[in-house]
Amino acid sequence: MAGLSFDNYQRNQYICAKGHAQPKATSTGTTIVGCKFNGGVVIAADTRATAGNIVADKNCEKLHRLAPRIWCAGAGTAADTEMVTQLIALNLELHGMWNDRQPRVITALTMLKQHLFKYQGHLGAYLICAGVDPTGAHLMSVQAHGSTDIGEYQSLGSGSLAAMAVLETKWKPNMTRDEAVLLCAEAIESGIWNDLGSGSNVDVCVMEVGKDAELLRNYLTPNVRAPKERSYKFPRGTTAILRESIREIVDVEETVIEFNKPEAMEVDA
Amino acid sequence: MSDPSSINGGCAVAMVGKDCIAIACDLRLGNQSLSLANNFEKVFPFGDKTFLGLTGLASDVLTLKEDFRLKHNLYKLREEREIEPETLANLVSSSLYERRFGPYFVGPIVAGLHSKTNKPFICGFDLIGCIDFAKDFIVSGTASDQLYGMCESLYEPDLEPEDLFETISQALLNAVDRDALSGWGAVVYIVTKDKVVKRVLRTRQD
Amino acid sequence: MNTIASQFTQSASSRLQSEYADAQRDFSNAPQLNLAPTIELPPISQPTEFLRAHTDDASNPDCKIKIAHGTTTLAFRFQGGIVVAVDSRATAGNWIASQTVNKVIRINPFLLGTMAGGAADCQYWETWLGTQCRLHELREKERISVAAASKILGNLVYQYKGMGLSMGTMVCGYTKKEGPAIYYVDSDGTRMKGDLFCVGSGQTFAYGVLDSEYKWDLSVEEALYLGKRSILAATHRDAYSGGSINLYHVTENGWIYHGNHNVGDIFYDIKEKEQSFNNVDA
Repeated sequence: MAGLSFDNYQRNQYICAKGHAQPKATSTGTTIVGCKFNGGVVIAADTRATAGNIVADKNCEKLHRLAPRIWCAGAGTAADTEMVTQLIALNLELHGMWNDRQPRVITALTMLKQHLFKYQGHLGAYLICAGVDPTGAHLMSVQAHGSTDIGEYQSLGSGSLAAMAVLETKWKPNMTRDEAVLLCAEAIESGIWNDLGSGSNVDVCVMEVGKDAELLRNYLTPNVRAPKERSYKFPRGTTAILRESIREIVDVEETVIEFNKPEAMEVDA
Repeated sequence: MSDPSSINGGCAVAMVGKDCIAIACDLRLGNQSLSLANNFEKVFPFGDKTFLGLTGLASDVLTLKEDFRLKHNLYKLREEREIEPETLANLVSSSLYERRFGPYFVGPIVAGLHSKTNKPFICGFDLIGCIDFAKDFIVSGTASDQLYGMCESLYEPDLEPEDLFETISQALLNAVDRDALSGWGAVVYIVTKDKVVKRVLRTRQD
Repeated sequence: MNTIASQFTQSASSRLQSEYADAQRDFSNAPQLNLAPTIELPPISQPTEFLRAHTDDASNPDCKIKIAHGTTTLAFRFQGGIVVAVDSRATAGNWIASQTVNKVIRINPFLLGTMAGGAADCQYWETWLGTQCRLHELREKERISVAAASKILGNLVYQYKGMGLSMGTMVCGYTKKEGPAIYYVDSDGTRMKGDLFCVGSGQTFAYGVLDSEYKWDLSVEEALYLGKRSILAATHRDAYSGGSINLYHVTENGWIYHGNHNVGDIFYDIKEKEQSFNNVDA
């Protein structure tokens, strides 16, 4: 039951051998960045999800919570980033309870890299992992094959070059919180404008030492759709119908039946 | 043409209106160019106000429909209540991701109203279970490119049930008329807090 | 320095030259019909393989260039002449590129050509056939026979055999000495005379209806209806046929156009009148 099922694997290989291609999974074709500042760390992401050349979701969430103070930005195969972070978040919670300690960023990273290495790159998750713990603020990244990287500033995804260009020019040591947020947002915006796989809005998450993480969902919305000049509403009766069936949903009333209280229970003796 | 999800053809679409949702699909089942059946519904009810649309490889559509029916029944027995659309979405997602390295070739969509609050909910998935939460509309199937185009232009928020019916029907009808593998009839479900209306549309038959 | 440079320039240019010479030789050896214009071949060693790799989605499903395909066309001879009926859908992969394609080419007032396969191939070579027929008329002071016209097309496509042309066509016409005649010509080089042909991805469905109802003694009205009805059946079952139906009648006075019939409009009318298509709800 637990774990992944490979039941259809052989069937699908057979179908492939017959000359059919595997369908494309949603990919986040993304720009994600992270940056440290004095007393904390900030990560940011764009919000476009693509399937081939189609924008599947214009406002998806690429910032995932691993623990209350450890967050993660994901690029690559959308389902993998989502599921891997959910799994690690769960194990991190159990780990924290077992040891009666707040989880550390390095623990999260180690769990992620061991999991991803086990799958030899077949899980297409590229993550920037950041957070604060009793040992301070940390910023790390992990690639699908399990390799990891630690740094003051990071970028990943198809827009990582555009974002890194901004980070390399404007990053400086010992920034304030606001400077770091602004820098990350600007780096993501650079990905939004210059990378076709990235787009829509900027999500930001700020983690400061000793404080709860603060998620700034849609921190920037530079791509608000212009309202339509005219309504395309159809007059009722436009569509020809052959049949109609209606199912009324009846309201079910609930009555709470009180059971006898224990002391009222009579016992023969 | 070449991948398993476009052998049988077919498409589905869901939209959010004012305190209501609509979910619709075509009725075609084919084998490449040969149209076989015009009664292949791709939208299935799960409880009163929750619906699951499944497009893609027909054998996987049927397999998953039965699989989710089983899981839905077990859920009802254990919880003694109907499944919420959000819960069904997570069930679909984890069931698909379980087969990450041997997926079913489907494109599911979920639409429904919360059983108590009647809050509208729609979402879509890729074949390995990545959820696409949307506030407006979700499309899936061989005519999905065409449906994206129709929905982006026709959709507007807060439509009354009757207006939502016209919008989703016209979006579907005009999209399938540009897809060789979809069409041959269509059904639309309009779900409001106190009733579910199912309408079969009159469509082109070529 | 110069020796090195010359060594490389020499070898590079000689390789290019030999390839160019090869191409020239292939090109001049290609069978040439003096009537036909020559078509530029891409400057690569195997143009046919190249074309197949990039445009033939049967041999390479992932090819980027999808040529418009998918059709149902039919023509049959009967007591009152010839009926020609075609659908009007053009598809590129699963995408319906057009529902209003004209698949009957009016070569001249007495000759019709139908179109199946590559739309551009049919359109180009059948209009070209029109000019050849006119030239024949001017030279010989009489209208070209259907046999001769179809043979010009047949010979032409045979020159290009295996090079990627894709066409399945029926040349239909009327001359005094032949009467009504139909010739089937395709890009493999086949040329056949016959009474009844259906061509295209929906041909089997059209044959099904046509064979069960066809008689030589059909009245003109019956024949036109049968042509329309056969195409309708094909548009119904074949995903790559549809749109509307174009109808023609060929007599000793030339062809007569019998209108464009939208499948969306006529389907339910015919279904109700005939009590047919009972698989479809109404």
